[in-house]
Amino acid sequence: MSLTTRRGFLRQLTIGHESALPDAGERTLVCVFLRGGADTLNMIAPYGDDRYYKLRPTISIPPPNGNGEAKDAAIRLDDYYAFHPKLRPLSPLFKEGRLGIAQGVGSDNASGSHFEAQDQMEHGESQGRSVAGGWLGRHLRSRAGKKMTPLSAVAIGPTIPESLRGAPSASAMRSLDEIQISVPSNNLLAVSRALSSMYGAEVGLLAAPGRSTLDLLDRVEALRNKPYNAENNAVYPDDDFGAGLREIACLVKARIGVEAACIDLGGWDTHFFQGSTGGLQAEQIDLLARGLAAFDADLNRERDRVTVIVMTEFGRRVYENSSFGTDHGRGFAMMAIGSQINGGKIHGAKPDLIAPGLSVNTESLLGPEGLKIVCDYRSVLAEVLVGVMGNQNLEKVFPAFKFQRVGLASNVYGLSWR
Amino acid sequence: MTTTRREWMKVAAVAGGLFSLPPALVGCERAISSVTKEFGQTIPERVSVAGGSEIDPTFHLLSRASYGVWPGDLDRVRAMTAEAWIEEQLAPEKIDDALCDLRARRFETLHHEPGTCYEYKKPVLREEITRHTLLRAVYSRRQLFEVMVGFWTDHLNINLEKGDSIYLKPYDDRSVIRAHALGKFRDLIRASALSPAMLVYLDGKENRKAGPEDIPNENYARELLELHTLGVSGGYTQADVYEVARCLTGWRLRTKWRKGTVYFEPASHDDGEKSVLGHRIPAGGGERDLDRVVEIVCDHPSTARHIAAKLAQKLVSDQPPVTLVERAAKVFTETGGDIKAMLREVLHSGEFKASRGLKFKRPFHFIASCLRATGADTHAHKPLIEYLLRMGQAPFQHPTPDGYPDEATPWLGTLLWRWNFALAIAANQIPSVQVEPQRLINAIGASGPAQLAPHFIGRTGTEAELKALNNYAASQGIDTDERKAEMLGLILASPAFQSY
Repeated sequence: MSLTTRRGFLRQLTIGHESALPDAGERTLVCVFLRGGADTLNMIAPYGDDRYYKLRPTISIPPPNGNGEAKDAAIRLDDYYAFHPKLRPLSPLFKEGRLGIAQGVGSDNASGSHFEAQDQMEHGESQGRSVAGGWLGRHLRSRAGKKMTPLSAVAIGPTIPESLRGAPSASAMRSLDEIQISVPSNNLLAVSRALSSMYGAEVGLLAAPGRSTLDLLDRVEALRNKPYNAENNAVYPDDDFGAGLREIACLVKARIGVEAACIDLGGWDTHFFQGSTGGLQAEQIDLLARGLAAFDADLNRERDRVTVIVMTEFGRRVYENSSFGTDHGRGFAMMAIGSQINGGKIHGAKPDLIAPGLSVNTESLLGPEGLKIVCDYRSVLAEVLVGVMGNQNLEKVFPAFKFQRVGLASNVYGLSWR
Repeated sequence: MTTTRREWMKVAAVAGGLFSLPPALVGCERAISSVTKEFGQTIPERVSVAGGSEIDPTFHLLSRASYGVWPGDLDRVRAMTAEAWIEEQLAPEKIDDALCDLRARRFETLHHEPGTCYEYKKPVLREEITRHTLLRAVYSRRQLFEVMVGFWTDHLNINLEKGDSIYLKPYDDRSVIRAHALGKFRDLIRASALSPAMLVYLDGKENRKAGPEDIPNENYARELLELHTLGVSGGYTQADVYEVARCLTGWRLRTKWRKGTVYFEPASHDDGEKSVLGHRIPAGGGERDLDRVVEIVCDHPSTARHIAAKLAQKLVSDQPPVTLVERAAKVFTETGGDIKAMLREVLHSGEFKASRGLKFKRPFHFIASCLRATGADTHAHKPLIEYLLRMGQAPFQHPTPDGYPDEATPWLGTLLWRWNFALAIAANQIPSVQVEPQRLINAIGASGPAQLAPHFIGRTGTEAELKALNNYAASQGIDTDERKAEMLGLILASPAFQSY
């Protein structure tokens, strides 16, 4: 069967609505979640604070040296902060003003639990207050005037993250090549028709996922036969994270309506031998930085349409533990990359390294909280949703939440500040 | 073992005969396949199917308390009664599992001490424990036991890829999960607390206080309270986490002689007084602190509720009825955490009977139930395992300590891979997996989809389901093997077969 007829047929299967292409000017929000509670204090290191070195005798990042050019030296951001040396690939983005950082971000969840904290953050809620769906799911439902497509929300990986819960549709995948039905007998038409008919008649739990899957097949069919070449000599890291970013770049360039893309990078739960400029955490930072830098270069032509945010569920404690790692803390730094981001600086107050109730010199170490939180994570997300993604219904995304100005994005006049 | 000596002689004779053939012609696995078929691990000559428009109650019980209905299971359980079947399953040691053993016992790394496992390469260890898990789920006659092994494997999750876990998980699988899957909850938790794999996975081996400046590593203590026992809203404080961590300081792993085994190092133990969940633990308890902590957390009322709720979620529905959770929690408390007693309470409950079709099969369950429903012959080689990876549920690969989620939503993005697996297995397109659609169709006496579907979904097809399948049959015909296989694949890919 020729591709056109096959595609034409698959299109007929998409039940209930014609699939119009979304606005060419659409924007894509890419959410990178660092699972495990990333120690951002070693990524954006407060070298200007002596206490940082006192509390982390083994694992701290040495201050930037005079010329800042040595391979392993921290990279100066301002008089107080420096990048971990492995973040070097992102240093030009900071200098160009397209990478911004919000310091002291966090949630009100003090459980110290990865799952509670991730859940709460992905749901976009306050502790103990349940809002239906995930924050990206609600954003996609509440943003005005655009059609939803099966690829409006994609998650790179085997499962759909909590943040996309409640999205009108969301697809989990590892790569585009996977998005096809393989019928051993090549009798695709009859098999597809039968599946379409069975899932089309379904009214329960599987109705929506069944239809989204069929619709997705139609759209990806068109993309798949074009070979993908990264632009601007972008080299993605040779791992799942790099491959996932590459797929997202391909989808963005294809302009098939991807509005939210989620991708995870794990390995941040560094209780044990975290390392400093090298070591376990440095390897993850390296992957993150090389991946995001390649993504940025590859999408140079599309840079006005793509915004990346990098978040984690909580930061880690300011002092190292007896196994040269760090335990669960509270506040962390969030990064955002994009043309609409107020980059080149660190927003938020300088961290108060010693949170209330914590005194590192006494025996009383019960319930230490780590880095103090000066800004709720929802304020950062809200600025991006309103200022970059144009959401006008923020009360539907974060109900009953009082926002606080962070400064990462402009054009946020619709927001009512605390 | 109830296999008679005579039967074993027969097995030995058949096996011996086959093994004597040139290896190039008949491999060991083909010999095992032949022997197991000879002794009944195959599709019986006649197979009854459910006849009503609602899911058959026996089919429902088998769907939840096993990895799916093997051809003929329905007849067997109906003949012996559901009550007798549950009791049979609750005494797995009395069930002859020789045929499954033939397929699954030969993975040698599963029988070794941790130290010996270090002599194997990681891919070998990973492959053996993964294949073993799937083969047991598909072929064991101790099905409820295997379901509970899966439940506790998630509950006490260990990821093979962290640190040395891969060398230590075989021992954990054997002496923690399988040893206590139907035992007492407290024994399970104590075994897990002292499991070398757990001490690596949650950093317990690094939790020590050798000097005044040492701060405990809270990783295991936190998950013990949050995930393994009380639950996140179980009423513990951050101070409790810290105190539990103090109690558990000093458990180390040997690194040379008897590598990977556990010992207590008094000098690394914080021997001061502690207070856990309102209980004072006096100074000087040493290694007894661990037993005290296990006792306190397992006896806590929040633990009874947490475990009851998880078990009800596993066996009844994603949002289990509160009434059932309360009763199961009461049984937990009254029996000192007797897992069999809780299972009796749940499986005999009205809430269980009323929950037909409410659960969504996770990928592992979907694949195991496809293999069982078709009476497939496999030794679980890489092509089959690849599908589990693709759908995101390969055994022992969940990265975080909460284990694979046991609810529908996170898995709804995997439909396409299910469709592809269904079509491939039915068409015998997965290398190392053999199915015989014609034999199954004959055993059921099916002349079309209307008679075939109930074997897989436990009820007659709805008008819409049958219309879709009949339209396919009408347009393509179902007289060739290829078309029959495709029909089978469509039934396995249907919405109804994704639920149970």
